[in-house]
Amino acid sequence: MNTALSSDIASQLIALLAALMLVVQLLLVVQRMLLTSIRLFALQSLFLAGIAGVVAFFHGAFHVYVVVVLTLIGKVLFLPWLLDRQVRRMRIAQEIEPLVNFPTSMLICGGLTLLGYIVARPFTSLERLGNNTLAVAIALVLTGFFLMINRLKAITQVLALLTVENGVMLAAVALTTYGMPLVVELGIFFDVLVGVMILGILVYRIRETFASMDTSKLSQLKG
Amino acid sequence: MELIALLVLPVLTGLLCLVTRSPRTWERLNLLVFGVLALLAFALGADVLAHGPVTALAGFLRADALSALVIGFTAFVALVCAIYAVGYFRHDLRAGRITPAQLRRYYVLTPLFVGVMLLVPLADNLGVMWVAAEGTTLASVLLVTFYNQKTSFEAGWKYIIIGSVGISLALFGTVLTYYSAVGVLGADTQHGMNWSVLVVIAGEFDPKAMRLAFILVLLGYGTKAGLAPMHTWKPDAYAEAPVPTAALLGAGFINCAFYGIVRFDVLAEKCLGHDFPGQLLAGFGLASILVAAPFVLAQRNFRRLLAYSSIEHAGIMVAALGFGGRLGALGAMLHMCFHAVTKPLMFFCAGNVQQHFGTPYFWKIRGVIRTLPWTAGLFLLATLAVTGTPPFSLFQSEFTALSAALAADRGWAALLFLAGVVTIFAGFLVHMTKLNLGLPRAGAPARAAECPWKLTAMSLVAAVVVILGVWLPGPLYQLIQQTTRIIGGAS
Repeated sequence: MNTALSSDIASQLIALLAALMLVVQLLLVVQRMLLTSIRLFALQSLFLAGIAGVVAFFHGAFHVYVVVVLTLIGKVLFLPWLLDRQVRRMRIAQEIEPLVNFPTSMLICGGLTLLGYIVARPFTSLERLGNNTLAVAIALVLTGFFLMINRLKAITQVLALLTVENGVMLAAVALTTYGMPLVVELGIFFDVLVGVMILGILVYRIRETFASMDTSKLSQLKG
Repeated sequence: MELIALLVLPVLTGLLCLVTRSPRTWERLNLLVFGVLALLAFALGADVLAHGPVTALAGFLRADALSALVIGFTAFVALVCAIYAVGYFRHDLRAGRITPAQLRRYYVLTPLFVGVMLLVPLADNLGVMWVAAEGTTLASVLLVTFYNQKTSFEAGWKYIIIGSVGISLALFGTVLTYYSAVGVLGADTQHGMNWSVLVVIAGEFDPKAMRLAFILVLLGYGTKAGLAPMHTWKPDAYAEAPVPTAALLGAGFINCAFYGIVRFDVLAEKCLGHDFPGQLLAGFGLASILVAAPFVLAQRNFRRLLAYSSIEHAGIMVAALGFGGRLGALGAMLHMCFHAVTKPLMFFCAGNVQQHFGTPYFWKIRGVIRTLPWTAGLFLLATLAVTGTPPFSLFQSEFTALSAALAADRGWAALLFLAGVVTIFAGFLVHMTKLNLGLPRAGAPARAAECPWKLTAMSLVAAVVVILGVWLPGPLYQLIQQTTRIIGGAS
């Protein structure tokens, strides 16, 4: 295959998958059901794994395949399963009313996406793949933060944190051509896994102690 | 060898505490490992001073003067905390405040926490450094929630959520730094993230990417160091965690976070020149000092007071670095070292008072000197030392930072710096004299014998504080001088 053509196909594919990640993120912002939110996160991670797969295949970078496998096992299967189990055990199906209603949230996230493109613009002149991808990555991080502020349930905040992490990993895999050194990828994977487990313990204890999962109840400490 | 031992020994100790059953064994194991770590750190410092940077595992671990300095003071803080912890938790156990199972959690997680903390200055790879920094949050969050109260969970939740958000920004910054280097290095996925490799070629980085990267990294590691406005987790975590953990966070981990900022600052200054990173650092530093000041004045809880003091000191370190030049670097490094030896004493004395009177509120306690004379005396000493009163060493470092501001022609910055530091000094003095001097309130607990373990830890720290006030050992000063050369860009 012609190399110029194949790299063209690769960047098209990556741009498509990155755009899909952003679409999923926006769906997440207007999703009230917790179980559906968890599935959406799994879907977003699947697209991320797809991008890593494209990078690995077209650059012949073997160690990026490891990233694909880790993402599939960790973020597409294990973490959603873990969160799913926790939500079922707590018998909470729905997020309560978010601070900002859904139409306004959508508008704000549109603005944040625009901001992502503005911040990423100085980099678009650089001759490397995934110029749009940086904009999407920044947009994912920003909307992830918004999601975190806008929701009150502890589980949704954990999901928001994970989407922020997805955004950063998107930047890592798309920007640097070959991804980060393997030891770093492994370390980050381990941190995310342990982090979510500890957050899970905390959510459980908070629910036991406060008889609620609303983080707005966590407001005793002041000054 | 010593580098590997510094990381492996604490982890092994943590695991050993997990499988053993008696509190006495846990205490001994912890004391033993932190004693050994202090010796190893001392040896490492001597080694680096004599032979230059030490590496291990084919360059995966690397310790230069800056790493050795951070490791040395972290090991010191960990050791005194371990000694203090024996007395502190025996008191809690006797009072029925905790169960042996909870105590095990402390003795298992603390060595792990310290081990991960030591990986931050030891990892040459900036990505691994990030992994370690995030690891410290994970290892310590269950220590913050140690007492299983409503408030401990609230503090723990804020700690992990704000910390993780911040640190994810730092990861983005790290990725962008790597990205700006890939253009120069080509695709070296083996060593392309190693600081020692990056610092040589930092001058050729893509400046646009580096500028964004530095902002993100400063926000990220700044969150962990507790710079305003990302400091909001700090008062909660410091006040809710058990005292030895709070001391370890406030005097040990703060340096590791600052270390991350320094490493990226060196890269950024080589790529962008001093102005951009310097102004950002000075801005965040001064903001932290000024934000802390009113909270110190109006504070009602002395455990939270310590957190605001820690926000102030993080601000001073960062501001000094931002003022720039040899003087600024020297001020920042001196301040980092002196703060690490002084702060544990504040925490320990506050812990004694809280345990004896059963409350952390100023207005409920008066005249500690009548009930706990040693604690009160040391508390006043620590207050003077920590607010930078001469002849104590923090005065020297704050004065150096101020001179750096004036040397860089930043009169306004110097003025704000001075105003903040003096306000905080006044606030501390009022609070602490009221707390310690005068007559006890009616119905206050009677005078009690002080616990020898806690007193040993406190007098050890106090001795170092007093000695450093009048005499800075030659080798330590040489090490600090070497770090200022590293900050100046010599790799």
